[in-house]
Amino acid sequence: MAEKENFKTVSELYRVKARDLGLRLAGGVNGLENRIDSPRTQKLALALAGYTDYLRSGRVQFLGRTEMNFLNRLEEADRKEACRRPFLLDLSCIVVTSGLEPPQELREYARQFSVPILLTNVVSTRALDEISEYLEEELAPTTSIHGVLMEVLGLGVLLMGKSGVGKSESGLELVLRGHRLVSDDMVNIKRLGTERLVGAGPDFLRFHMELRGLGIINIRDLFGISSVSLQKQIDLAIELVRWRDRSEGDRVGFEEREYQLLDTSVPLMTLPVASGRNVATLVEVAVRIHMLKKQGYEPGAEFINQLEKKMRLARDEQA
Amino acid sequence: MIQRTVSIGNELGLHARAAARFVKLASQFESDVKLCRLGNNESLDGKSILGILLMAAVKGTRFQITFDGCDEELAAKAIVKLIEDRFGEEK
Repeated sequence: MAEKENFKTVSELYRVKARDLGLRLAGGVNGLENRIDSPRTQKLALALAGYTDYLRSGRVQFLGRTEMNFLNRLEEADRKEACRRPFLLDLSCIVVTSGLEPPQELREYARQFSVPILLTNVVSTRALDEISEYLEEELAPTTSIHGVLMEVLGLGVLLMGKSGVGKSESGLELVLRGHRLVSDDMVNIKRLGTERLVGAGPDFLRFHMELRGLGIINIRDLFGISSVSLQKQIDLAIELVRWRDRSEGDRVGFEEREYQLLDTSVPLMTLPVASGRNVATLVEVAVRIHMLKKQGYEPGAEFINQLEKKMRLARDEQA
Repeated sequence: MIQRTVSIGNELGLHARAAARFVKLASQFESDVKLCRLGNNESLDGKSILGILLMAAVKGTRFQITFDGCDEELAAKAIVKLIEDRFGEEK
């Protein structure tokens, strides 16, 4: 498992968003390879007024109507000074919104410090949303792990375990029961926001599975479009272990465990695998249990409650 | 745990048949076999053919193989030999 350091260059942002936002490049062309490494955006407002501590390089800076009104009110010398302040830091790029014309001074510094200025007719709030959404998606921390990602009863289930334990076979069994394959063998996972994990297969492997004795098969060709899904949010991780590796396992349904990845976690269940145990059935039931738990109902706990009640009554009768 | 750095020497690279040989051999051992292309920190399961095919490793590709388990020495020896023998191919 490996995390990658992510960034986008200003030119990539420009290329991708040029049409949606009608972006035009207005100077600072030398800085097109500047890196953007955070999906968070900033407004230049306070920096123009002299407070620059909050500025971070690697974020997209916005200049909108408020900033322009402020600059227009200044005397020429003050405006020049105000325009220079943000450039004390290595900025990635500045987006000027609402079809405004940036002051000559700003263009001059942008050229000097190689910070591209991008113009758009779209208003600040919408431009900000569009750009942060794009960056959020592109700069999401990613990793890839060995496993099978399935969509079972609408939930994303990540099957993990050593090779040969039967992950792919269980996946195939689940497909036969009407569930969907997202990826066999290798799952690329990205974290959106702080806790949403979304998995998909590498393009090249898409919808393929390898099954011992059958070779490489294409699930979509064999079972149709409804048997596959391109990507899926991961709701539950299930680890398959050989029976002898772990003889006990959860016997009542109390254990709450989590699988950690990308600084967040998903609930984890461990299922011992042995001949005579139909793993697909167990996985499907595990998902049903998970759905109940999500709604605050604990099947195991309910049973224990009944038991305790019965024991209490028995004690009371004795007394 | 044992690590070995190898280079693919056969003309066709890690094509389907060679990858199948690799996986078959790796699966005979108890030990975990992980592959990692040099200069890339993603590791792949050496017992799964899809992952290996995904690498599309051509002749000259170098990677590190990690063997971990009770028979790691035997596994390392056999697998390194398979690669050095160019998967039994002539060139």
